[in-house]
Amino acid sequence: MARPKVKSKAKPKAKPRAAKSPKVEKVIPLHMIPDVQSEVIKTAEGRYLQSNEAMFTFYKRSKGEQSPYFLGLMEKKQIIGARCPKCKLVRVPAFEIYCPDCQFEKLELVELPDTGVMNSTPPITYFANSLFAHMVPFGRGRVMIDGADTGIPMHVYTTKGVLTPRVFKKNTPVKVIFRKNRLGKPTDVFAVPIAELPEKLRAKKGVEEQELDWSRPVEPPVDKPTPETEKAFKSAFAAFQSMSKAVAKSDRAKKDLAGWKRSIQVKTAGGSFIISIDKQNLTVKPGKAKADFVMVSNNPRLFEDWMNSRESLTNAIIADKLWISKNQEFTTVFKLDRLPRSLRRT
Amino acid sequence: MTEAVGIVGAGLTPCKGRWVELSYYGLSQLAVKKTLEDAAIDIKDVDAVVFGIYNDIFEYSAIPEHPLQGIIGMANKPGMRVTCGGATGAYAMLASYTMVKSGLYDTVLCLGVEKCTDCFDFDSMTSTPEVIKSIGWSGDTFYERELGWTASESYAEVVLAYMDEHPNDLKDEVSAEISAILCKQAQNNKYAQRYGEKVTKEMAMNSRYIVYPFKLLETCVYTEGAAGVIFANKEKTNSMCKNSGKPPIWITGVGASNEHHVVGRDFRHKVMHRIYSDHLSAKAAYKMAGVTNPVKEVQVVELHDAFIKQLQVTMAEFGFTKLGHSDDLVKEGLMVPGGPILVNPSGGLTYAGHFVGGSNMLSAWSTRRELIDKQLHRGMIHGTGSTIAQYGCVMIMERRD
Repeated sequence: MARPKVKSKAKPKAKPRAAKSPKVEKVIPLHMIPDVQSEVIKTAEGRYLQSNEAMFTFYKRSKGEQSPYFLGLMEKKQIIGARCPKCKLVRVPAFEIYCPDCQFEKLELVELPDTGVMNSTPPITYFANSLFAHMVPFGRGRVMIDGADTGIPMHVYTTKGVLTPRVFKKNTPVKVIFRKNRLGKPTDVFAVPIAELPEKLRAKKGVEEQELDWSRPVEPPVDKPTPETEKAFKSAFAAFQSMSKAVAKSDRAKKDLAGWKRSIQVKTAGGSFIISIDKQNLTVKPGKAKADFVMVSNNPRLFEDWMNSRESLTNAIIADKLWISKNQEFTTVFKLDRLPRSLRRT
Repeated sequence: MTEAVGIVGAGLTPCKGRWVELSYYGLSQLAVKKTLEDAAIDIKDVDAVVFGIYNDIFEYSAIPEHPLQGIIGMANKPGMRVTCGGATGAYAMLASYTMVKSGLYDTVLCLGVEKCTDCFDFDSMTSTPEVIKSIGWSGDTFYERELGWTASESYAEVVLAYMDEHPNDLKDEVSAEISAILCKQAQNNKYAQRYGEKVTKEMAMNSRYIVYPFKLLETCVYTEGAAGVIFANKEKTNSMCKNSGKPPIWITGVGASNEHHVVGRDFRHKVMHRIYSDHLSAKAAYKMAGVTNPVKEVQVVELHDAFIKQLQVTMAEFGFTKLGHSDDLVKEGLMVPGGPILVNPSGGLTYAGHFVGGSNMLSAWSTRRELIDKQLHRGMIHGTGSTIAQYGCVMIMERRD
């Protein structure tokens, strides 16, 4: 139930700043902010009221004693640590001012190199929180800078396509790369495998992101059709059509697709088809057309395995059985991955 | 100081993915009502209350316990809130135990409650991303949160580091089998969120990764619910239990440990491939309870299974198997049905539910139920929490009749 609009006779106020300057980044993305609204939810127990609300507080937050580290990143492309003159331990970032292990001896700020190794294999996030959903998949690990005794939490990227668990391992040598636009935040830097860098950049201090060769993902070719793959394709396509009908009858599955619109070109060795997600429905039609993104798998049987809960699309991408043209579309892949379970539980 | 501290009652609400019908006020009232009924006492018999509530954002209040004091019948009595991340429930019970053990109060109610899926992401039109975001405010606000920190990837860091050290342990088929075992055990718990659900080893194996190496069906659920546990001194425990007809369950060991939140090369900081907080808290609790061989001396473990692979590492840190051999929990039959150790007999956090502030009270309720119904001697409960499994808290419970 929408709140009734109230007309005002007062002179309209100036447009908010965002309307004047749409490129200004807001601390709360405007698209995340819901309208003021209340609604009635009906359950078996009765009628209940719920309202759109938000718990928000704005800050001008001082980074205080943490400032030298962040200023180092932002202004000088330096990595600043803190060294204890007594125990010689070097802590990076410079997150404290006294050494708790040496009777709170005052620490000394020191500059560290921008190379190091991964402390351990970093996790890769495929399902992020709502502020970071547009960044998936991303890795975050701890870089042990050369000469340091503690690790810096840092995003890790590969310049060679989709990030999989095979790229970074414990002790993988890495180089810290600086963003071009830096705000004194932990996202001002990220790490890449040093092996992906040309020789001239490996020793260079303060390398920025635009100096890297970000290889564009190249769509993998599919094999020529064989009677076997064509048969598997027909079977998979028929299964998709059945799934489409089942989704239309399942409130649970429709909820999975709510508010989402995408077209996906699927290419397999047995043939191609288009998946359309719109208005809480999923439809398929054979052939090729312009789409929001592309999925490629040589094996059409993969999709039947997925529909029968023997495989997930996410895991297939991670295992290199399925290729997608846009990393950001993991969000769509997640919505698709919910469907078999939702249909099973309908 | 009292000679002994016992549990005289425990109760909980059904665990649900979303409670539209009850706010956290209503959930608290329901849990307290059930807890008092179980103990067969009146709220007037309770001297003080400890609230376990993890996250202000979930409850939409910076002091979420304040409206609960009066509505649970504890007006004009002492009450305090404990919040320690995922280990909130265990630490709240530690505080309750301490208040009784010190002799300050005879009877203390520990109430854990949490909402979560009121949080809603209007972009995806689902709750989960917003729930994850709300938990995301728990990471280090200078160095982690802005990198998209989540509880899952934080625990995944620890598990992946463990796998670096022990590459032949934590095989996917073992984690999947444990998930299936827990699902089956949840069917003994009518309050379980996933009561009536069947998850097989194959389904767990094939479920999608949320954060590598954690898969969806090997990860705890988001839950709304509440649970209560009543602690009393020796005299009150004996008299109350005589009245209720239920055997007293005694707290014979407690232990807690919080690690550094920054990763380093030795134990002055967090050593990523260990959950040292679990190791130290169990070690302290064992010492207090006189446990020297947990495999032979502990029959029930209610372990905070935020993630199945973390459950396995924690079991190794507890000494039920060696580090690097956590797959023996299944391979050697340690925790399979009929094995020597009952692990999460009510489904754990993965299948029964994880309403963070009260999940460990659910564990206490379950352990007590097993000790009473199966006439077992000793059980232990555990809470873990904060970034990179920083917090650990363990409590040992015994039946002595």
